Amino acid sequence: MLTPVMGGGLQQTTNYRVVLPFYVFASISFLVATALLLLHTDIAQLHYFNPHTLAITHIMALGWGTMIIFGASHQLLPVLVEGKLDSTLLAYLTFILMATGIPFLVVGFYIFHTGWVLETGAVLVNAGVILYVINVFRSSFKSKTRSVHSWYMIIASMWLFSTTFFGLLLVCNFNENILPGNSVSYLSIHAHLGIAGWFLLLVIGVGSRLIPMFLISKYTNNKTLWWILGLINAGLASFIIFKILEISAAYYYISLILVLSAIVLFGRHCIKAYKVRIRKNVDEQMKTSLLSVIQMLLPFIALITVLAFLPADSHPNIALLYGFCIFFGWITAIILGMTFKTLPFIVWNKVYHKKAHAGKTPAPKELFNEKVYNSMLVVYLSGFGLFIVGIIFMNQLILKSGAAALFTTAVLYVFNTGKTLLHQPKKI
Amino acid sequence: MSVNVITNNNERCEFALEGLYEVYDPEVGLNVVDLGLIYQLDFDESEKKLDCTMTLTTQFCPMGEAITGDTTRSLSGSFPDWQINVNLTFDPPWDYTKISPEGNKFLGR
Repeated sequence: MLTPVMGGGLQQTTNYRVVLPFYVFASISFLVATALLLLHTDIAQLHYFNPHTLAITHIMALGWGTMIIFGASHQLLPVLVEGKLDSTLLAYLTFILMATGIPFLVVGFYIFHTGWVLETGAVLVNAGVILYVINVFRSSFKSKTRSVHSWYMIIASMWLFSTTFFGLLLVCNFNENILPGNSVSYLSIHAHLGIAGWFLLLVIGVGSRLIPMFLISKYTNNKTLWWILGLINAGLASFIIFKILEISAAYYYISLILVLSAIVLFGRHCIKAYKVRIRKNVDEQMKTSLLSVIQMLLPFIALITVLAFLPADSHPNIALLYGFCIFFGWITAIILGMTFKTLPFIVWNKVYHKKAHAGKTPAPKELFNEKVYNSMLVVYLSGFGLFIVGIIFMNQLILKSGAAALFTTAVLYVFNTGKTLLHQPKKI
Repeated sequence: MSVNVITNNNERCEFALEGLYEVYDPEVGLNVVDLGLIYQLDFDESEKKLDCTMTLTTQFCPMGEAITGDTTRSLSGSFPDWQINVNLTFDPPWDYTKISPEGNKFLGR
């Protein structure tokens, strides 16, 4: 006996108008960040606490990574929490506050105006993040049950707020001593709250749902996902405690091992999903996303090198290498892949969902130029590799070549994003 | 026909499926019949009513609305004077055993 589901059983999708502005803002941010990187390749020879590195890092973390995750998560939240987005109004307000706050923050760092420019940016970003957190909580707790993926979203959003609120305190601390130490000494806590608490948890939470879905793989293992969630949180919490208590750097290995174990478990999860996939022909976008899982390990290799072989704080280029591998490595790779898995669907749904059977419609993947996408990948991997070599050997020519390739990647990315966004229905 | 669709009218079912072969899951690029999403087609001749029971590859498929809408439009096109009801079910859930041999070939399996 076949039992129809109550209430239609259809996934309630978020209106595309809510989602697309985030993608547009993120695309422009990526272009600006790579342009700044090309202009300021000399940052590889400087301490990471300098105006240009801070500006590039924040435009990558907030303008690129966070804004595209906000856009995608407003679209995917219904899939993850198995319900619907609580408020489109909050989503619009989140965009307005973030899109206003991020330029203030980035310009504030770039010209190093530690007064009202930075403070305005930090306050606006915090306001945007608070609205996002409220939306995630209300959407998640409206559903009768909460999946492990929901908990990833809930906890990651709380870590995001911790990151931005701590960032606001650091900005205020430039002018008034509201923290016991100076702002530079807290940077690693601020950075890791964002990297592990926000990006890593969210990417794994969303990835563990989307990767099997796009591979059409029935593999699922909630027990492993709970373990990963616990390991990352334990690793991050222990790191913050060790840092605050100023315990010997050797203890950081504990945090490192906990987070590294979580990444290895996630890699294993992806491999198992890949092995039992129904769709044997894996497209380039999925390959890019899977590549980003491997890239997650690169920052750890850099970090272990620092902890094991180098005296603390004596090699700023290694810190830069670590940050570069995170923001231009796995975060960028997963965005490059997932943008062209999610965006064409959003646009396709907008343009064709009521016209689909009126004639032959293009597939979502036909909304962007596949050749440009493939070229973008080649250029990206070359640029990423070259810049790493440039940092290691402190060679300006290699750094410039790498940065130029990354800028070209951004141009190609913007081209394809624009092509998708501006897609007009074919006459059918 | 290498698909398993429960029906009370084989002739009308085959006609309905001809149209449904043109309804695609946009992500997979395979039609809903070969993908095994169509479970049952019940024809009520006296009431001129067609009940289609179908599923999706995942309950949380963001393209669900497009696929079911497309299925409804296809059946309305095949049976213009009939009342069409498309019902979703996830019991039993879809799995790869429901894919037709043609579908498996398309997916590279």
